[in-house]
Amino acid sequence: MANTVIGSSIVVDGEISGEEPLVILGTVKGKVVAAGHVSVEAGATVEADIEGQNVTVGGKLTGNVTARERLELRPESKMIGNAKAPRIVVADGATFKGNVDMDV
Amino acid sequence: MADKETVIGVETRVSGEIRGGEDLVVKGRVDGKIQLSHALTVEKGAVVQADVDVRSLVVSGTLVGNTVASESVRLLASARVVGDLASPRLIMEAGAAYRGRVDMGDIEAARAAVASRAAAKPAVGRTEVARESLAPSRVPPRVAAPPKTAVLAAKAAPRFVAPAGGEKSGETGPASPPAFPRVAGAVGAVAPPWAKKKVRRR
Repeated sequence: MANTVIGSSIVVDGEISGEEPLVILGTVKGKVVAAGHVSVEAGATVEADIEGQNVTVGGKLTGNVTARERLELRPESKMIGNAKAPRIVVADGATFKGNVDMDV
Repeated sequence: MADKETVIGVETRVSGEIRGGEDLVVKGRVDGKIQLSHALTVEKGAVVQADVDVRSLVVSGTLVGNTVASESVRLLASARVVGDLASPRLIMEAGAAYRGRVDMGDIEAARAAVASRAAAKPAVGRTEVARESLAPSRVPPRVAAPPKTAVLAAKAAPRFVAPAGGEKSGETGPASPPAFPRVAGAVGAVAPPWAKKKVRRR
């Protein structure tokens, strides 16, 4: 269970940083720095750079993602920005525009 | 997540603005501004340093900032609150610590006052406001640390400075002198009474 949840009707304008799982259902603008899992759920809108261990995108994300372990773009996701992660999963149906850096 | 609710977890910090139409529970830390058409709960252990505009507010943690609550404010026993409160209903439990002004009359006027103050701030820049509000809580530990090192340096410095000045001043001259005066200066400014006392005692 995620410890931090940004609900669907919430707008956060600024920086979110934390050491625990973060689930975004609403809108976040600014920056997200997390030590754990970051999940941008379906219906969420994020205009922010995201840093996390695992990053899962199911909603709409505009910004650069740095995942220390894994980045996953779910089928309904829409991402514009650069992706940096050792493992990247792009599901069939996901929309993505940006650079991919897998540290090869 | 049975009901619509947003949670800022214990280990999470938000600096900036949170606004929206659902309940918000803060267990971690928020710096900036909170604007909700629902309830805000500041849990025990949480720290909120923000101007708050909500329907109802329940505090059992720490809140610093001006609050407008259109329905009610409840300060529980463990609450620590500094800032003005404007709400038609105020419940304060025994044990709650509060400093500020309470206005249970004209909420709209209070809201306008907070809004005008908030409107004046963004001209400076939101991030700067956030940093300013971070400063007081972050600085003390850092300020508290140097005196210890200064005292340690005071103990150590006289022993080191004397031999270095006598033996190696010619060789290491260009590199080391800039470093020593700084240390010596800091010691001289902060700690000589301590150093002298200890030398005398010994």
